[in-house]
Amino acid sequence: MANDLPYSVQEFMNSEKEMSKLTQMASKKYRMPLNAVFTKLSDATRAIASGTVNWGRRNSLWPMQFGLSCCAIEFMDFGASRIDSDRRGFLMFRGTPRQCDVMIVAGWVTKSMVPRVKRLYEQMAKPSYVVSFGECATSGGPWWESYNIIKGIDQVLPVDVYVAGCPPRPENLFNALMMLQQKIGGEAVRSSERSVSEDLHKPEIEGLRLP
Amino acid sequence: MAVMRINIGPVHPSTHGVLRLVVDVDGDMIKRVEPHIGFLHRGVEKLMETRMYMQSPSYLEKLDYISPLSWDELYVASVEKALGAEVKQDAQVARVVMLEFQRIANHLLWLGTFCNDMGNLFTIFMWAFRERSKVLKFLEETTGGRMFYVNIRVGGLNRPLPANFADEAHGLCDYLEEKIAGYGDLIEKSSIFMERTKGVGRLSKADAVAYGAAGPVLRASGIEEDARKSKPYYIYDKIDFIVPTGYRGDTYDRYKVRYIEMQQSIKIIRQALGMLKGNDVVGAPIRLIGPQAKPDTVLLSRELPKGEGIVYMVPDKQRPYRISLRSPAFINLSLLPKLAEGSKFADLFPIFGSLDIVLGEVDR
Repeated sequence: MANDLPYSVQEFMNSEKEMSKLTQMASKKYRMPLNAVFTKLSDATRAIASGTVNWGRRNSLWPMQFGLSCCAIEFMDFGASRIDSDRRGFLMFRGTPRQCDVMIVAGWVTKSMVPRVKRLYEQMAKPSYVVSFGECATSGGPWWESYNIIKGIDQVLPVDVYVAGCPPRPENLFNALMMLQQKIGGEAVRSSERSVSEDLHKPEIEGLRLP
Repeated sequence: MAVMRINIGPVHPSTHGVLRLVVDVDGDMIKRVEPHIGFLHRGVEKLMETRMYMQSPSYLEKLDYISPLSWDELYVASVEKALGAEVKQDAQVARVVMLEFQRIANHLLWLGTFCNDMGNLFTIFMWAFRERSKVLKFLEETTGGRMFYVNIRVGGLNRPLPANFADEAHGLCDYLEEKIAGYGDLIEKSSIFMERTKGVGRLSKADAVAYGAAGPVLRASGIEEDARKSKPYYIYDKIDFIVPTGYRGDTYDRYKVRYIEMQQSIKIIRQALGMLKGNDVVGAPIRLIGPQAKPDTVLLSRELPKGEGIVYMVPDKQRPYRISLRSPAFINLSLLPKLAEGSKFADLFPIFGSLDIVLGEVDR
């Protein structure tokens, strides 16, 4: 049950102690610089605030309306009447990256698309999360032998959740975003990990040039 | 006034995929539109040369991912032509039923996204997806896949039809007929829809022929050309249906042609189900060696939901030596600069949406 609270009990107790200490000090007319009072106050509120912010973050994920290929059709179905993604707080899909914090890479990523996907990720509000949706985005999928496809979006972006399938069902995406919520809330095991390929910090993928 | 250049895309909600448009505008009027394609190119035709014949349908389905079954069927039919294989009678009927349901699903998705582009008809988007999910459920029960089926095999289908195939199909037809009739009321009473589509993006008959337009875009300009009528295949010559044509060639006509096509598809399905005799549909085993009677080339066309698609294949023993695909979406996209020139900037996306293109098929 403790997990349902937006803050941990221990943090709350600590902050209460801090608050009572402050009031005691004030009653003893202990002279304290004004800055220090605010610092103490911010310490006290931080525990509650960090919990609340995480709670708010994980319950209002704003996915970006960004489809590359086939999986984007299932992505549309995810937002349409049958699944109704608003139920668990995956709010409206936004057309601009600046209003979003979840990028769902749905489809194969070609070499000419890599710099653009990267730029979209950089334009998103931080902290931003990446869901790799479908086999093409995860590993290249059926286009493994193609000369123009990068083999997995984790070569360019850090990925939080992978969704398997070709294409995955919309229910599967729902599950993936629920896992992402667990991760943001710190409930999932090793939740801070994001899979990053070794090539991530390379300036360029082989054979890839900016237009 | 100076000409301003606006870049749209490649990631833009209204381009229905990954398409970049460079638009020169003078005030509100479009001077020039230049589509930039190739953001989804992955070399399908080259990959298919390295695959055995029956490994390729999975690639073909990912061309037009809104109606995967149609490209699948077109490719397998061209392999059948290379082999000289006959298709079983029941399998022909079942293929026609599934293809027409696929056409309805394609047009429903098109209608939903098109009405969404119009600005005030998100309701239709929700309704169309509700009906589309019913069609997908039917196809899933028939084939086993929700979106990609890979269910066509040389000589027939991959798996036998479910026991209640005909009943389910009849029930779905009744459901769709009622719901699609309801769309017309909502759409055509919306003054925003009518004003944004009527007279916008007109394509004359001569231009449609000169640019080689395909499918509903061609028929909306008044040319009655449908491969199901002009080169009938399977059981289409025994079925009574009309090919809807427009006469203004504007965006509204393209909507109306697709709308009537959905109703005609329901009519076709009902007639085809009457011809279904038994359940003898399963085709040849999948380990297929290659064409025994090897013709030099195979050229085959089918009426896909987006227009006439053509496969040109040079068969070899195990795998195609060379294969080339004629995509209707690519050809219709080449009409966009012609149609959008001289219209207002706000009309660009109604015109673009009415062409019904899929970027996976354009780029291949």
